[in-house]
Amino acid sequence: MPDSRLDKLLLQIDANLEASLKRLTALLKIPSIGTDPKYAASCQKAAQWLLKEFRSMGFEAAIHPTTGQPVVLATYVPPGRSKHLPHILFYGHYDVQPSVPEELWTSPPFAPVIRKSRNGRDAVFARGAADDKGQLMTFVEASRAWLKANKSLPFRLTILIEGDEEGDSVHLHKYVLANKKKLKADVALICDTNLWDAKTPSITTRLRGCIAEEVFIHGPRIDLHSGYYGGPAVNPIKALSRVIASLHDKNGRVAIPGFYDGIKPMTPAARKQLKAVPFSERAFLKAAGLTLAAGEKGVPVLEQIWLRPTCEVNGITGGYTLPGEKTVLPAEASAKFTFRLVEGQDSETIRRAFHRHVRQNLPPDCKASFDSSGGSATGIRVADDSLWIALGQKILKDEWGRTPVMAGDGGSIPVVETFKLGLGMDSLLIGFGLHDDAVHSPDEKYDVRSFHKGIRTWIRLFDAIAKKDSK
Amino acid sequence: MKTLERVLAAADEGLDKSLERLFALCRIPSISTDPAHNADCVAAANWVVKELSGLGFDAKAHKTPGQPMIVAHYTPKLANAKSPHVLFYGHYDVQPVDPVNLWNTKPFAPQRVKGSDGVERLYGRGTADDKGQLMTFVEAARAWIRTIGELPVRATFLLEGEEESGSPSLIPFLKAHKKELACDIAFVCDTNMWDEKTPAITTRLRGLVHEEITITGPSIDLHSGTYGGPATNPIKVLARLIANMHDKNGKVTIPGFYMGVAELSQATRKQWQALKFSEQKFLGSVGLKTAAGEKGRPVLEQVWARPTAEVNGIWGGYTGVGAKTVIPSQAHAKFTFRLVGKQNPDKILKAFQAWAKKQMPKDAKITFSGRGGGAPASEIPLGNPFISKSAVALKQEWKRDAALVGGGGSIPIVRSFKDILGMDSVLVGFGLNDDAIHSPNEKYNLSSFHRGIRSWVRIMGALGEKP
Repeated sequence: MPDSRLDKLLLQIDANLEASLKRLTALLKIPSIGTDPKYAASCQKAAQWLLKEFRSMGFEAAIHPTTGQPVVLATYVPPGRSKHLPHILFYGHYDVQPSVPEELWTSPPFAPVIRKSRNGRDAVFARGAADDKGQLMTFVEASRAWLKANKSLPFRLTILIEGDEEGDSVHLHKYVLANKKKLKADVALICDTNLWDAKTPSITTRLRGCIAEEVFIHGPRIDLHSGYYGGPAVNPIKALSRVIASLHDKNGRVAIPGFYDGIKPMTPAARKQLKAVPFSERAFLKAAGLTLAAGEKGVPVLEQIWLRPTCEVNGITGGYTLPGEKTVLPAEASAKFTFRLVEGQDSETIRRAFHRHVRQNLPPDCKASFDSSGGSATGIRVADDSLWIALGQKILKDEWGRTPVMAGDGGSIPVVETFKLGLGMDSLLIGFGLHDDAVHSPDEKYDVRSFHKGIRTWIRLFDAIAKKDSK
Repeated sequence: MKTLERVLAAADEGLDKSLERLFALCRIPSISTDPAHNADCVAAANWVVKELSGLGFDAKAHKTPGQPMIVAHYTPKLANAKSPHVLFYGHYDVQPVDPVNLWNTKPFAPQRVKGSDGVERLYGRGTADDKGQLMTFVEAARAWIRTIGELPVRATFLLEGEEESGSPSLIPFLKAHKKELACDIAFVCDTNMWDEKTPAITTRLRGLVHEEITITGPSIDLHSGTYGGPATNPIKVLARLIANMHDKNGKVTIPGFYMGVAELSQATRKQWQALKFSEQKFLGSVGLKTAAGEKGRPVLEQVWARPTAEVNGIWGGYTGVGAKTVIPSQAHAKFTFRLVGKQNPDKILKAFQAWAKKQMPKDAKITFSGRGGGAPASEIPLGNPFISKSAVALKQEWKRDAALVGGGGSIPIVRSFKDILGMDSVLVGFGLNDDAIHSPNEKYNLSSFHRGIRSWVRIMGALGEKP
């Protein structure tokens, strides 16, 4: 028997795609860069925009201040016998990465346009298209479609949209811990990850943690003339370069003493999980213009990005960086670092070990200072044998026609740790991004197909829960 | 009384008048960096031309796209094609005076003030840099002409008005007036004495080569979560390159880098040791304690006689506020190499490029700005007759051996004289380290002015002597 209710809904989603894209476009126009204080008003504007959407759909919604950017919290309690219904928390973030260098964008980062991407499919190009506005809107649009057709939801729903995901997750962490009762649900749905490939869905069960550190190396009291002082004056750029060079050994292992403490050896199950993944190292590297795996020698790429911690430099600056020459020996140089952490590593211990290592590798007359305010998540693994995972596998298979890959993710979504450790709540990580989405890079995009099928995937979840409930 | 004694006596007697003229020049606010003072620069140039014409020079203020360039020739009656022809260089423009509220006197109302230490100083913008200095050789010329009726040496004065604004007109002007300006030697009066009792001649200046590099790893910026680990990070590659550029002892590791670098002669080493240079003070004044650079080499040797490889700027990835978890596609750095001895700028550049390419791992590409270029070091052999004559003359005046010093930086005018006119420069000046040039309360010690005039009287006399 044809599933008339679901089919009708899916048809409606197809028919309304244009309108859904229009709403996404409106959200993408708001330059809500959470890490740059200059854009605070834009973050507020993005939150307001979401608030209005949720209210218009019948949610009870409010904007709550945090120690960082505000969060949008929307709840929907089905009228009547809602107590026994499952409670789902949906999480997303409205903040986006900075858009620099803007000159490398084909179209302006906050003027979304749809055009063919290099993979031949139509895509929405804009900062945040994939990370995470496009993804969060898949769920919002699914909710809208369901509510329009059925007037009520088959579960209790709380939607939490934050504005600090790209910056300091401490703010959300504090907010969640202060609002445990409101937020504790049966499961958290997080839509901020990728498909395995354009045809194959995936569910992410492991995430690396992330902490950020900024290091400032101070040398001479003032900028010096490199003619008068070149030679005997210590150069902080050189000192910083040596520190960076000292962070890894010849085999690509992080050389900070104690860095790998607490990491458990890989389990046979994990080995099996990795083996089952259809993954081409060559294709993965080639997509980034690379041919050879850097990093830890002898460790397969997939293991490196899912199960091994890293120490990366994300930015460096010092001295004269404008066009032309200036014969200066700078007084200061600085660099931004992130550490990807895996299960078992303690972020505070890593920070201390890093500081010690930097100081020990400085020449005389150089001092280091640190900004340790960025990130705090440690690596995490969610249970992969729950009912929710099973449900996720079913809806993904129904929509995409393929069994989802049970994957790891090299990136971190700090909120997963917060939910797990703070609320005792597991997360189901399903997302529709692609590796070529250029999140964090110029020309970020989200395939229209990802958006469209993402909405369709979620509607199947609503439907599956409704059916369970009616049984 | 010997001729020289008579000329010196004339310089002494005329000192008050000399000071009046210096002050008249200093009253003209010829700030070349500020277009509002264009007319003042012209007025200063005209003032100087009038003075030199009055002394019998064939003097002219040439128009340039910027400030006028003064060229003044003097040919003694008995001079012939074989007599030495000497160029004297100075500049009549001055630095801006901001912040004016920090001046104790008005910057363009020069004053002679006797300090509580008994030292007489001339306060005002330009008293030291460079009006006071250029007037030492102008007044020395006057003393000769007033005493014996002419200069003892064939001379050309070249006085520019754009030194403080980067000398944009200088190179085209030198090229256009090659024949008129090419002399046997140039005396540049814009430097300091070693200390207030010890005169100095700068005989060596380091050369300079610069280069900018870009290292490209991934073809686009990557998410450090998705790619962190297996992706080549160009910042790391660049950092390693910079870290590898020097060995543990601070020596540059680029193969062939030290070709053409000679060890100091015993005589020079001894001379520099005798200068009693305080490394501690030199480093302490900029907040440092320990000499970096080549281990075991004194600081003075490092800055005057050793080449360096320095990073002047570095950038790559995200450098804005906050964090961005990116593995950048590119990282960049600017380098300068200070050169000494016979180091060849092109060879150094090529050696650096070849070495840097070798530092690249498989997935990193390096490109060079293509703007790299530079100039070799200038060194005048200590046996050069102009140096030895100047040294003897300075010793007679100051009763101390002139310090034969180096300069760590390049002085563009010296480079241009060499490249365009094929002429070496001898740098003799009477400034002191505490003259506060470019700062409020610029001053020139009266003794610098007075004995500076007397020094040039002696040097001009020595240059005119038949060998």
